[in-house]
Amino acid sequence: MDAGERALLAATVGDAIAAIAAEGGTADGALTELGWLEMLDAEPRDAVGIVFSALGAQHVTATVLDDVVAGALGIEPRAAVALLLSPYTTWAPPGRVDGGLLHASGVTTARVATADELVVAAEADGRLALATVPASAVTITPVAGIDPAAGLHAVEIGGAVASTVPLDLDAWDAAVAAGRRALAHQVAGACRTMLEQARAHALDRSQFGRPVARFQAVRHRLAEALVAVEALDAAVAAAWDEPGPVTAALAKAVAGRTARTVAAHCQQVLAGIGFTTEHPFHRYLKRTIALDGLLGSTDAIVADLGRLLIATRTVPTLVEL
Amino acid sequence: MDVAEFRREVNAWLDAHDAELAPPFAGTGTLDERVTQMRRTNAALYDAGWMRWGWPERVGGYGGSPMLRTELGAAMCGRGLADPGIYSLVEVLAPTVIDFAPPELAATVVPRLLSGAEMWCQGFSEPGSGSDLASIGCRAVPDGDPETADRWIVNGQKVWTSLAQYADRCVLLTRTGTAEARHRGITAFFVDMDTPGITVSPIEMINGDLEFTEVFFDDVAVPADRMLGAPNGGWAVAMSILPYERSSCFWQRIAYLYRRLQLLVDAVPAGERAAHLVGEAFLQLYALRARSRATQHRLAAGEALGAETSVDKILVATAEQTLYDTIRTLRPGVMELDDGLEGETWRFEYLYSRAATIYGGTAEVQRNIVARRLLDLGDE
Repeated sequence: MDAGERALLAATVGDAIAAIAAEGGTADGALTELGWLEMLDAEPRDAVGIVFSALGAQHVTATVLDDVVAGALGIEPRAAVALLLSPYTTWAPPGRVDGGLLHASGVTTARVATADELVVAAEADGRLALATVPASAVTITPVAGIDPAAGLHAVEIGGAVASTVPLDLDAWDAAVAAGRRALAHQVAGACRTMLEQARAHALDRSQFGRPVARFQAVRHRLAEALVAVEALDAAVAAAWDEPGPVTAALAKAVAGRTARTVAAHCQQVLAGIGFTTEHPFHRYLKRTIALDGLLGSTDAIVADLGRLLIATRTVPTLVEL
Repeated sequence: MDVAEFRREVNAWLDAHDAELAPPFAGTGTLDERVTQMRRTNAALYDAGWMRWGWPERVGGYGGSPMLRTELGAAMCGRGLADPGIYSLVEVLAPTVIDFAPPELAATVVPRLLSGAEMWCQGFSEPGSGSDLASIGCRAVPDGDPETADRWIVNGQKVWTSLAQYADRCVLLTRTGTAEARHRGITAFFVDMDTPGITVSPIEMINGDLEFTEVFFDDVAVPADRMLGAPNGGWAVAMSILPYERSSCFWQRIAYLYRRLQLLVDAVPAGERAAHLVGEAFLQLYALRARSRATQHRLAAGEALGAETSVDKILVATAEQTLYDTIRTLRPGVMELDDGLEGETWRFEYLYSRAATIYGGTAEVQRNIVARRLLDLGDE
């Protein structure tokens, strides 16, 4: 895909998601009509980057994360198949097969509520397996939490008959990495929007007879937010240029730290209005917080990276010129 | 030559020559020792040809992407063979002379700089002109009619001039217009440091080093053909330094900081707190590396680098200070009290890292640029 085609696709997807943002509901149907699954198969980087950035930027919910993770596991993605993510803040395979029965616990997108089947990566006799269970065998609880609109669900499976196929450990790591790259794009999109909201407010809002954007303290907060967002964009791009579990982990963790930095500065600049539900900022703040724990929280990933460096006594360079 | 291939070949060559290129001193060494090390290793790199890649053929280079010389510097700094601050002087000063000096002059002096035969310094800041560089007052007046004068007379003072006590030449900014003309009244010269009337006085930094100096100019006569760029065109000369200072030099400093984190990781006992702090420092360094990589690809693709490099500058300064704060926290008592080699080294570097948010444009000036130029927030 060249730059022109990419820009055209981004505009098309952006318009479709903007329409959903105005009407309400999830973007799944619109994305399917736009050929999301074909794009994901043919041009995964552009498809994931454009779709997840737009979902983040416009605060629209979808369940396409299931497709990204399922595809990386070698399953053909489709709307009838939901995928179980690890318990919130963690990223180990969420299931365990014991005596032929699947036990699992984790979180999912809203797809689980309408899917026919749930796919679960599970430990089985010291190896990994991919287990498939009918949705009817699963206990599903919608999670409201800080962001009810995110559509997250808690799933418990207490000994279900499942069909299993072997799974390489590398395939699970690759699936986690694919999901993390997608989530990093989504967070980056949300960060750009928060910054734009705060910037617009700073230019519009006057105190002491001038726009607050003219006060250096305000300008420096917005500058700080932009620096973080730019670094995040670079980290996400690097995770595609040099794909692997570590660069994806870093992209997700940089996204988490960036969201914290951007939200803090932008909320302070938005001041009173940013503390209300009358301004859309709160949705983005809550969404980035809710997303932080999917496939590993920033805190957990950062500590894990530190453990890796200390255990191996090696600082990996990962990306070269 | 392909950048990845060059990286492999340089590193193979450095592997083979590591023993002879390694500093003959332990730890940080004295400033004299570090400067001697730089000149010695640059001479060896020039003789072996590595130092000539990435520089134009008209100044004795072999051509190729500037990324080649970036890779060489990163390898040298990442292996502890070069100090990034001293090594980067070439990268800061040579492109400017190549672009703005008369071609014969550039062809003569640039090879001497690259090979370590000469050192140059940068005479920009003044006691009254730090962040506000356009306010400089060090005066140059033509000796006679400005159109035909064969020399200019310089009077004034520079400060924070790194390594001027070792320098053979100085890229000097002078006031040639009125003070009100600000950046439109500045002219750049390439001045021989042995010209009568120049006095260099080192300044002791908080880590005990004498890298910075004050340079005084008292009726210093500079030939007119040593002007860089046009009369009152010195601002363009000053700004021409930024693209490479904010790309190649940063990549070399990043390589150096990775090595510092490696030294910490070699020494730190495992534990949850250590894991968290090392992870945070690594996260910042990596994000910086990813950003700097993108910046250099833009430069190599022919884009003009501008205000957006303030983002890189802020990231470098923040990551560097975070790293040294982490080292201090995870090696308690070493930087503070250890009088052995390890304590001396970490202390020296920790104190130096405090300047990262000051030199090359303060953290605040960078944020002002980001706010006005990148966020388009208008004037203050």
